[in-house]
Amino acid sequence: MRGRSVRQRFDLVRSLVQREFVTSYRRSALGWAWSLLLPLAQLAVLVVVFQYLVPLGIARYPAFVFGALLPWTWFSTSVTQGCGTFIASGDLVRRPGFEPAVLIVASALAGFVSYVLALPILIGMLWVEGRPPGPSLMWFPLLAAIEGVLIVGLGLAVGTLNVFYRDVQYVVGVVVMLLFYLTPVFYEIPATLGAWRGVYLLNPMAALIEGYRAIFLHGTSPDVFPILTAAAVSAVVAVAGYAAYRRAIPDVVDLV
Amino acid sequence: MQVVLAAEGVSKRFRTTRWRPTLKESLLQRITGGGSATDEEVWALRDVSFEVTRGDAFGIVGHNGAGKSTLLRLLCGVGRPTSGRVRRQGYVHGLLELGSGFHGDLTGRENLRTGGILSGFTDHEVRSREEAIIAFAELEDTIDQPVRTYSSGMYLRLAFAVATHFDPDVLVVDEVLAVGDARFQAKCLDRLRAFRTRGGTLVITSHVAEHLQTLCDEVLVLEEGRVVMSGDPEEAMQCYEDVLARRTERRAATLGADPRQLVGEHGIRHGTREATITAVRLLDAEGHAAERLPSGGELVVEIEFERAAGVRDVALTLAIHREGAKAFELSIESVTATVGTLDGRSVLHCRLPRVPLLPGPYWVNVGLYPTDWSVVYDYHWQMHGFGVTDATPSSFERAGVVDIAPECTLVRRA
Repeated sequence: MRGRSVRQRFDLVRSLVQREFVTSYRRSALGWAWSLLLPLAQLAVLVVVFQYLVPLGIARYPAFVFGALLPWTWFSTSVTQGCGTFIASGDLVRRPGFEPAVLIVASALAGFVSYVLALPILIGMLWVEGRPPGPSLMWFPLLAAIEGVLIVGLGLAVGTLNVFYRDVQYVVGVVVMLLFYLTPVFYEIPATLGAWRGVYLLNPMAALIEGYRAIFLHGTSPDVFPILTAAAVSAVVAVAGYAAYRRAIPDVVDLV
Repeated sequence: MQVVLAAEGVSKRFRTTRWRPTLKESLLQRITGGGSATDEEVWALRDVSFEVTRGDAFGIVGHNGAGKSTLLRLLCGVGRPTSGRVRRQGYVHGLLELGSGFHGDLTGRENLRTGGILSGFTDHEVRSREEAIIAFAELEDTIDQPVRTYSSGMYLRLAFAVATHFDPDVLVVDEVLAVGDARFQAKCLDRLRAFRTRGGTLVITSHVAEHLQTLCDEVLVLEEGRVVMSGDPEEAMQCYEDVLARRTERRAATLGADPRQLVGEHGIRHGTREATITAVRLLDAEGHAAERLPSGGELVVEIEFERAAGVRDVALTLAIHREGAKAFELSIESVTATVGTLDGRSVLHCRLPRVPLLPGPYWVNVGLYPTDWSVVYDYHWQMHGFGVTDATPSSFERAGVVDIAPECTLVRRA
């Protein structure tokens, strides 16, 4: 059967990522710089609040926050936008021979591209501190892959469900906002957590952000156990999300 | 004969809710076990069965809302039938929504590349066809402009060109012959014929019966989701006209109009009268009533018509018939688009500079329709007659409708 070669699939995803990225910023003066401005603005506010107004006393606070904000932004924007993906691209969802899940993958990858484009700023900050990242960066692809699987799995689930119940997008908005506070983005995991630390790290984003911090900030490899847990949770989410998508997609077509 | 596409007892039900159920309503419904009060069921298709064999051109005709698009979607594997099943063999490619995946902010070229890849090609293959596609769409000068700046004709030309330059085994086309002007339509038809010549299987819908008649081996008539008949295009066209007549009668009945009247000795007038032909005048070159027209002479047809307030635009046909044979027909798909904006009462002046018909009695038959041709507003059948006389006497017996002046001599050979 034609059109199903690996090369063709690659071109399809690449073309959709490019399309998503280009169309998001084409008619704005600053272009893709906007994708940097959101985390930078958040960084500025968090630094002002938690370094000066209510000091948390965390060393190297700007790099500490920024290294976590980038993967968090990737996660939160992709999952939030995932709710509307099928609805917004109804013409493609209804297109014969097109696999709608590709849209979720492309959207996740577009978010990842923004993440990678912002990395030089983080590395620059570490450089200025005199502590450039080293060989521990080799863990980056693994962490990003786990996060990518998590984002795609959640995206498939919320994107599909939202077609049936538009309530889902509001629920997702609230959950993502709450999760921001349950994830160590702007604070360290408190030492007082004790035995609850394991429960806390069941949140895969918490484990992943600790991992990113280890490889960028501290130049160490991430803790194995939380990362394995995050990988397992992400895999379960992805399988469940894909199963829900697979089951519902013939009906999605009639509703978008 | 290999069957490449088959529908077996396909039905499709849509639940239309006046407003989408919220999570709360759905949960309550689950708990109480009752159906939601807002649910309304619509059967878009009922027990539709047919087979398409390799290399065939299969047409589906039906007015807007008859279920054509729903059927095509299911044929392409988009969505699933409520009951029955669809079997497919080979790569079925559907042109259901032209320009799906197009983005207004991207240029024609960028959309072309994405569109080609979406059609199942690699980037490299798309680029090798790029120039041919641009040339076919006749967009050489504007291909690097964002498509939001395109006219609807340009947009459709690009979409059609992109869609048909990537040949599948089975091509499913929904109403795309309504693309662009008549010249571009002819080009599209040529492309579809060429695709067939190469052995491709074609499934095509239209609400315009003539498009299918020339292109298809078999035509299925769909009305309100059911198959009325399927078979020879000629018979299907007749059947489609009957369906149209019945629908017109039903609509006329609800509007309280008399759907069918006998006029004079031969005439029949039918239609819902939402637009009415108030007068038809046949004039010769001097503006006199053309009761007798010399063969090859000029004929002017003036059609005076009124429309109800809700009718913004009409389609119009003007045909010259002789006892059972159509000598000529003109259709205007949209009077507003081709001739001009309508007043409450309009007069269409139509000049036929040369009418080369054989001597005999002829009728001018005139029809007014909505632009989707779903019913007949007003049709005058054999109500306006005229005669054609010989311009120069001929010594031959001639039969037919067209006056071809024959000259016969004996050639003596040595």
